Amino acid sequence: MTLSHYLALSGILFAIGIFGVLTRRNIIGILMSIELMLNATNINFVAFNRFLYPGRYEGHLTVIFVITLAAAEVVVGLALVMAIYKNLKSVYAEDYNILKG
Amino acid sequence: MTEQIVFYLLAAVILLSALGVVLLPTLMHSALALGLCLAGVAGIFASLGSDFVFAAQILVFVGGIAVLILFVVLLAGSVSDRATRQVNAQWLPSLLICGLFLWAFLKIPVYFAGITARTAAAPTVKALAGLLLGEYAVPFELISVVLLASMTGAVLFGRRKAQ
Repeated sequence: MTLSHYLALSGILFAIGIFGVLTRRNIIGILMSIELMLNATNINFVAFNRFLYPGRYEGHLTVIFVITLAAAEVVVGLALVMAIYKNLKSVYAEDYNILKG
Repeated sequence: MTEQIVFYLLAAVILLSALGVVLLPTLMHSALALGLCLAGVAGIFASLGSDFVFAAQILVFVGGIAVLILFVVLLAGSVSDRATRQVNAQWLPSLLICGLFLWAFLKIPVYFAGITARTAAAPTVKALAGLLLGEYAVPFELISVVLLASMTGAVLFGRRKAQ
């Protein structure tokens, strides 16, 4: 397997995630698509580390940090979704227009 | 040969379940497909020889995030969701934007064509622990502060309003 295979896989996965973010109406669906995009970048980090810098571990380390931050992001995001859902009784992004500028 | 078979099987699982996440009309099904996709990405990490990242992916993404999303899908849905459209009307421009990104992303592998792994995969846990507690100790501690802040935020947003 060459590096190109992994890069192509992660590129396709990222594009699928972008499509989901742009087309999903459900806010939880948008969050799930963002998770797909984060995973695509993680594949890139590990693949570049494996193929271009064997013997170094910074790519793995970055992926550990990204995974941790993704967990934190999902926790706060889902808590916000539940808080808004309690008020609006809707999970659709176009109903979330209650911010006062 | 085995490596190719494993890679293409994992890629098929990842891409099909990612399409399921994006396209399936029932959100419950797409949450389950998300779990499958994250497990496939963990398999890709394993095939790249990064054992600790593989374990962290299984623990945090498959065991934590996918289950959390599943819970929220179950809590925040309603019966009428099954009858309403789950995608907005902008699928054609989105498809164009997505195709543009895909075209750009598939240009990149051309520059890295033919690079194969020069060394065999080795265990990474000990070296990662050395980096985390040595050179990268400050980001490691900062990450724990971020986790504490997100936990506090989740409790703050999730509690019942005092009347």
